[in-house]
Amino acid sequence: MNVFGIPILTFVTFFPVAGMLVVLALPTSSARAIKLAANIFTGLEFAVTLLILTRFDAGSGEMQLVERLPWIKSIGAQYLLGIDGISLLLVLLTSLLTFVATLSSWGAVTGRLKEYYAFMLLLETGMVGVFLALDLLLFYVFWEVVLVPMYFLIGIWGGERRLYAAIKFFLYTLFGSVAMLVGILVLRAGHHSFDWMAMVAAGSVIPAALQGWIFLAFFLGFAIKVPMVPFHTWLPDAHVEAPTAGSVILAGILLKMGSYGFLRFSLPLLPDAARRYAPAVAVLALVAIIYGALVSLMQKDMKKLIAYSSVSHMGFVMLGLAALTPMAAKGAVLQMINHGLSTGALFLVVGVLYERRHTRLISEFGGLSSRMPVFAAVFLIMTMSSIGLPGLNGFIGEFMILMGTFPVSWLWTAIAATGIVLGAGYMLWLYQRVMFGTIVHPANESLKDLTLREFATFMPLLVLVFWIGIFPKPFLDVIDKPVEKIIRIVNPAHFEAPR
Amino acid sequence: MIVPSGYGLRPLVPELVLLTAAAAALFVHLFAGRHGRRAAGYVALAGIGAAGFALALTPPSAGPLFGGHFVADPFALYFKAAILLAGALAVIMAFRFFDVEGGEPGEAYTLVLLAMVGMAAAVSAADVVTTYVSFELFAIPSYVLAGIFKKERRSAEAGIKYFFLGTLSSAIMLLGLALVFGLTGSTAYAEAGPALAGAEGRAVLVAMGRVFAGLFFKAAFVPFHMWAPDVYEGAPTPLVIFLSTAPKAAVVAVLVRAMTSLFGAYAAEWRLVLQVIAVATMLWGNLAALTQKSLKRMMGYSAIAQAGYLAIGLAAWGEAGRTAVLFYIVAYIVMNAAAFGLVLLVDKGGRFDESIDGLRGLARRAPGAAASVLVVLLSLTGIPPTAGFIGKYLLFTAAVEKGMILLAAAGALNSAISLFYYFRIGRAMFLEEAVSAVPEAGSQTPESFSRAVTIFLAFCAAVLLSLGLLPTLLTTPAVSAILSR
Repeated sequence: MNVFGIPILTFVTFFPVAGMLVVLALPTSSARAIKLAANIFTGLEFAVTLLILTRFDAGSGEMQLVERLPWIKSIGAQYLLGIDGISLLLVLLTSLLTFVATLSSWGAVTGRLKEYYAFMLLLETGMVGVFLALDLLLFYVFWEVVLVPMYFLIGIWGGERRLYAAIKFFLYTLFGSVAMLVGILVLRAGHHSFDWMAMVAAGSVIPAALQGWIFLAFFLGFAIKVPMVPFHTWLPDAHVEAPTAGSVILAGILLKMGSYGFLRFSLPLLPDAARRYAPAVAVLALVAIIYGALVSLMQKDMKKLIAYSSVSHMGFVMLGLAALTPMAAKGAVLQMINHGLSTGALFLVVGVLYERRHTRLISEFGGLSSRMPVFAAVFLIMTMSSIGLPGLNGFIGEFMILMGTFPVSWLWTAIAATGIVLGAGYMLWLYQRVMFGTIVHPANESLKDLTLREFATFMPLLVLVFWIGIFPKPFLDVIDKPVEKIIRIVNPAHFEAPR
Repeated sequence: MIVPSGYGLRPLVPELVLLTAAAAALFVHLFAGRHGRRAAGYVALAGIGAAGFALALTPPSAGPLFGGHFVADPFALYFKAAILLAGALAVIMAFRFFDVEGGEPGEAYTLVLLAMVGMAAAVSAADVVTTYVSFELFAIPSYVLAGIFKKERRSAEAGIKYFFLGTLSSAIMLLGLALVFGLTGSTAYAEAGPALAGAEGRAVLVAMGRVFAGLFFKAAFVPFHMWAPDVYEGAPTPLVIFLSTAPKAAVVAVLVRAMTSLFGAYAAEWRLVLQVIAVATMLWGNLAALTQKSLKRMMGYSAIAQAGYLAIGLAAWGEAGRTAVLFYIVAYIVMNAAAFGLVLLVDKGGRFDESIDGLRGLARRAPGAAASVLVVLLSLTGIPPTAGFIGKYLLFTAAVEKGMILLAAAGALNSAISLFYYFRIGRAMFLEEAVSAVPEAGSQTPESFSRAVTIFLAFCAAVLLSLGLLPTLLTTPAVSAILSR
């Protein structure tokens, strides 16, 4: 399938770069034109990613719309893109959240607009590329391309300690990704190929001991990105300092790159090691769930609270993947999307308040629900989505993860369920302190409710939160086969054992 | 003896063109008066261009020429092209430097050309004596070049330091070469190499150790690097571009040739040594660069660290390793030229600010140049999609394929360390505001940006990006140029 004669996956990957060039070509003085162009490009990008659905066979677990070109012949690297249900959902999430984030920046970002939107669009290309690349070297290239714009988004448009947060984010992730690079090289030496499909077809040709080392190298890269405890310390800094749109994308998509990489590469390419280390990963995930939730309870800054809640929620995702059952893994993929929607929205919520009051301290607010009823409703829905209220998206994902984990270990399930209770605790307490009670701070008396543009940014997220919560079937159908394919490779025993 | 083949002087034409240009530049400088100095520079640039043209027409020939003293194989031609590139980049930047600083020494251009003749001959040398003579032919002008800028005391210090340590290392190397002759009774690689394979092992190791020590010195491998930071900081910036790139290319070529045809039988020993040297060089260069405040000195240490990555390819050896070295040397030349070229971007009233702080807020004042520098920094760090990434990727792959996973891991770890100091530049340019908000009393320094340097940086960035996206442009010639035994 082609768009303007360009294969569609290539088109969705590089269309934002075209947008970046257009934005760069516009005169610096015409702020409106720059904003408009960026919004149009991210909007069109979302529309084109939806177009993929028309040619996508949801019943297949195989890679579709594959594009293959030789890239560096002497080392066997290819330009290889392909999409399955897992990638599809993540690409859609990426293009949607980037659009939302761009829209939310309209009034929030004032300085150096041209660079801001250029970096935003470049970031989108990197993220889409990560979810579509099936050649490991190409994957690594996109993985790294993401770092640079995010570094600048935090470093230029961030808060007070932005310089520190930006380099910390960059250094942490780069340390992880060079470890992953070495892993990729060793993997290639075993397979003589970077081709994901060929590697999956070849099965485990690498001796188990070596697999273990490669797994650890990959894990370092992915775990820092997710982030898993104890590699999470960059996250609160980056989130607190990043501009709202940066936080939305960071939490909504960049973190998913880690869990996606784990699912796409660590599990099927290193099945023996994955089986061996999965319990250890699960334990780290449980630590993250509980630790993230407890630390969230302590926070005074709303943004930091939501940042730590991400650690907890991503712990759920990693637990679901480490359980190595189809149910839990499907729940994990769905939870990646859910977390992207709800946490993305929560960062926007914080952004709305920050734009009005220029503070994020919980103690500065209180009683806002009387002044901002629409905002209160949006905030409440997203809070409930984050907690996992039945009928909203978070419930489905968490429930599937718990259900899929139970046959593996009831203890893990019990601990994770405790995390949900804690999650309800910190989120409801946050909502209560910010929205209910009486207005103590005079500046809060005159707060304006959501503008139409702001409401429009929340709208698609609200729709999806309900859609996934009430009728998740279309989403689960898409990921059913590809997830099962991966789990079948890494944990065949599960399918043989009597249920 | 080997029968000379029938090429006549043809394979020597590039060297002869350079030599002629050197003589012409010298005379232009002598007779054209004050303005002759720059004219000498134009003659030099034209000479390099003509030599490049002649090089393109030189047919590669596998066999030895001139009684086995000289080869013009694809390997030698590849390195000559790299050396010409380095020389051209340096001369172009010299125009900018002396425009601002004044005190242009016209003879510098002659010396650059003479050094290039020596380097071009060295990469073709297939004989112990030719190797040494051509080595000295580029070493002696190098010493003078380091100390040529009389306005600057640091330059004189750099010249003296380079000269004393350089001659010492040359002497050590000469002793090693003499031992080769003593052990084999032959000076030609083609005869001495096989003879060494059968000679008494310990004596060969002594000879090899001395030859390599001399070469490692010129390549500024740790622990033979002591001169490099001072020379890179003290010498005039455009000549640092030259001294930090072209000699390294020549030395690596000589090293590869010696490792292939002279000491090929002792691979186990030199590969071990090179692994240690690679790790030490990367680590030392990167750690020392972390603490620098001067942009120029930081880039000096960075140049040392970058050579360490090259040593990974030499240690890995094999076809993959040698291809990687060929690829990386070109990327290295362009990256380094741009890194030092950056120092010449901002003219603060007749002098250059060599501090990193001087770059603050550059993204606002010169967005184009800042964007180019960003690409160069990514390439230096080894982040895709740049030539630096592909180069490092090739080097690390070569190591992994030979089972040296830890060596590759050390290289990767060093890349991550280097991010920290390279992005101090990125931070200053993009994230920090210019300090000029508080002008110092009395010292109103009007700063001006050079259009030439901006174009230069854009060119380097374009090369690095295109080699990063389409590495085949360079891997294809590199693969066909590697030396087979």
